[in-house]
Amino acid sequence: MDKVYVIGRDAIPQFLRMEAGEQLRMTFVALPGTTARLALEVEIAGPGCDLDLAAAYVCSGCDDLRMNVLVRHTCGGSTSRQLVKGLADGGSRVEFDGMIYIAQDAQKTEAHQESHSILLSPEAKVEARPQLEIYADDVICSHGCTSGFLNAEEEFYMRSRGIPEEVAKQLQKLAFLAPVMQRLPEDLGRELYESIS
Amino acid sequence: MDDILKELSQKEYKDGFVTEVEQEYVPKGLNENIIRLISEKKDEPRWLLDFRLDAFRKWQRMTPPTWGHLKLPKIDFQDIIYWAAPKRDEDRPTEIDPALMETFDKLGIPLHEREALAGVKPRSNVAVDAVFDSVSVATTFRKTLEEKGIIFCSFSEAVREYPELVRKYLATVVPPGDNFYAALNSAVFSDGSFCYIPKGVRCPMDLSSYFRINALGTGQFERTLIVADEGSELSYMEGCTAPMRDEHQLHAAVVEIIVEKDANVKYSTVQNWYPGDAEGRGGILNLVTKRGICRGSGSHLSWTQVETGSAITWKYPSTILKGDNSSSEFYSVAMTGHRQQADTGTKMIHLGRNTRSRIVSKGISSGFSENSYRGLVHVAPGAQNARNFSQCDSLLIGSRCGAHTFPVIRNQNPTAVVEHEATTSKISDDQLFYCGQRGISPEDAAGLIVGGYAKEVLARLPMEFAIEAQRLLSVSLEGSIG
Repeated sequence: MDKVYVIGRDAIPQFLRMEAGEQLRMTFVALPGTTARLALEVEIAGPGCDLDLAAAYVCSGCDDLRMNVLVRHTCGGSTSRQLVKGLADGGSRVEFDGMIYIAQDAQKTEAHQESHSILLSPEAKVEARPQLEIYADDVICSHGCTSGFLNAEEEFYMRSRGIPEEVAKQLQKLAFLAPVMQRLPEDLGRELYESIS
Repeated sequence: MDDILKELSQKEYKDGFVTEVEQEYVPKGLNENIIRLISEKKDEPRWLLDFRLDAFRKWQRMTPPTWGHLKLPKIDFQDIIYWAAPKRDEDRPTEIDPALMETFDKLGIPLHEREALAGVKPRSNVAVDAVFDSVSVATTFRKTLEEKGIIFCSFSEAVREYPELVRKYLATVVPPGDNFYAALNSAVFSDGSFCYIPKGVRCPMDLSSYFRINALGTGQFERTLIVADEGSELSYMEGCTAPMRDEHQLHAAVVEIIVEKDANVKYSTVQNWYPGDAEGRGGILNLVTKRGICRGSGSHLSWTQVETGSAITWKYPSTILKGDNSSSEFYSVAMTGHRQQADTGTKMIHLGRNTRSRIVSKGISSGFSENSYRGLVHVAPGAQNARNFSQCDSLLIGSRCGAHTFPVIRNQNPTAVVEHEATTSKISDDQLFYCGQRGISPEDAAGLIVGGYAKEVLARLPMEFAIEAQRLLSVSLEGSIG
C-alpha cells in the first residue's frame, strides 16, 4: 500500500496495526499555512513486515506543526524506516516527536529514523525528540537528527556560475526535500514545489 | 544463557566493606530543627542557615520528578539520618583517625601526604579531599596549592575562611529551588569540596574529591563548588564507594562549576557506588545535580563520567554556554548490570555566540538492567553560529535488558548546526568468532570489544582514573558472554 496524506487537509488514521508480511508506505506533507497535529501509532505485530514512513514540511508565518509518531515493534523480524525533512521559515514552530519502541523478544528487528530540518528565519523554532526504547538485544536500530541552515558554499558555487541568489536558494531547498518529494503524486509535488518558490 | 546470568550475578563489589568507627549522628528525620542543628554543628553563619531554611521551605512545596525512565522505590525522607560523622579523638585532634586512614588506604586513596612528600611512597600528583559520610576528614597538599594561591579545602572550612567567595558563587548555577533533589541538598548539605583557582593559574596537580558512605541509615548530601577564574586551568576528579547493604541509601549531591573567561576545567567522575545485589536489593540511589556555567568568553568545560555503580542513577551533568566562543564536552560510559537502572545524559544550553558542544555517550546494559540516555541540546535565538554534535550508542548484552535514548534537540537559531545520531547494537557473533579463532577466550574477547567501544571516552580520563575505569568495566563484564 502506498498512501499520501496532506497534514491538516486529509483525514489521517491514528492507529495502524501490521500483521505478518504486510507492507506499508506512507508519505505526509505539510504545506505552508498549516497549524495541525499529526499523531500516528503503527504497531508491527508480525514478522516480515516493512514499514516506510516519510514526511516533508514547509512551514512559514505563524504555522505550528506537531508530529507525533510512534512505531512499535511488538514482534521481531520486521523493518521500519522513518524520514522527516522540512523547512521552517517565518515565525513557525515545528515539533517532531518520534519514538521507536522494540518490545522484549522482538529480535531481528531493523528500525531506522531520520529527521532533518533547516531553519530559514531567526524567529523559527524547531524541536526534535527522536527516541529509542529498546528491550531486545539482537536488533539494528538507529536514529539521526540534524538541524541547520542552507549551505553557503553550495550557494556560492551556484552563484559563481551565474545562477541568481534566489534560484540558488530554491534549488538547495528542492534538493533537500527531494528524497520525500519524489514519493508524491505529480499535482501534490507541484503544490509543494510552488510553496518553495 | 542460565550460566551467563548466574555468573553475572556473582559480579563482585570490591569496596563493600564497613569501617568500624565511633560515629555521631543527628536524630533521624527532617524538619527545620534538624537543619538548625546541622547548621549549628558546623558553626555556620546566619546567611547560610537562612539559605538552608529557604531551600527547605521550597523543597516542602515540591514533588519528586517522575519523568525519568526509572522505577524509583518510595523514599521516606523522614527515615533518613541527615548528618553522620566519625567522632574526633580528643587526644589527637590534628591527626586523622587511623581507622579512617586505613579505610581510604584500602580504597587506594592516597592520604599519606607526608610520606609522599618525603619520597617514602611514590610521589602522587593528586590532591585529595576525602569525605566520610557527612564530613571531610582530610585534604592533602593544601600547602603546596596555597603557594600558587589555589584554595582547595572542605566546604565547611571554606564557609569559615572564605565566606565572601562562597557567598558570591554558591547557588549561582544550581539555584536552591532548581529541582526536588537539589532543593533537598541545599537544605541539608553536609560537606563537600570547595576549590578556587585564581586568575591565570594553571593547577599543578589534579584535584580530587573522594566520597565514602559508611554509616547505616544515612544519606550523603555533599556539595561541591569549583570556581576557575580568568585564564586558569584545572583537572578535577571525583570518586565514590559505599558498603554493601540490603537497604537503599540516598545520595543527593550538587556540583556547581563556574568557568570564567578563557579558563579550562575538566571534571572527571568514576562513579562506583554499591549497585545492589543480583535481585536488586539495596544499593545507592544516586540522584545528583551537576551543572557548570561557561561564564566568560573562550571558556571551556569538559565532563567525563564512567558510571558503573548505584542501584539507580539520575544524573545529568550540564553546561550553560553563556560566554561567546565558549565550548563544552560531555563524554560518558554508563554500564548497568543486574537490576540497576540508569537515566543519565547531559544538557547543553547554548546562549552565547559561536558556542560549541560535543556529546559522546556510550551505554552498556546487561542482565535485567535499564540504561537510558536523556539529553537536551538547546540553541537560544541569540546563539549565532552555535554548533553541536551528539552521538549516543548503546550496547546490549543479553535479551532481558533495555537500552533507551531520549534526546531533545531544540533549535531557535538559523545559523546554528545541530547533529545527533544514535545506534544500538550487540556484541556480534562474528566479532566473537574472529577473536575465538585467534585463541582469545569469549570473556577476554568481550572485554576487548567493550574496551574498544568505550575507548573514545576512556581515553579522556586522567591516568589514575583510566586504570580504575578499565578494571571496573572488566569486573562488570565477567561471565556476561557465554
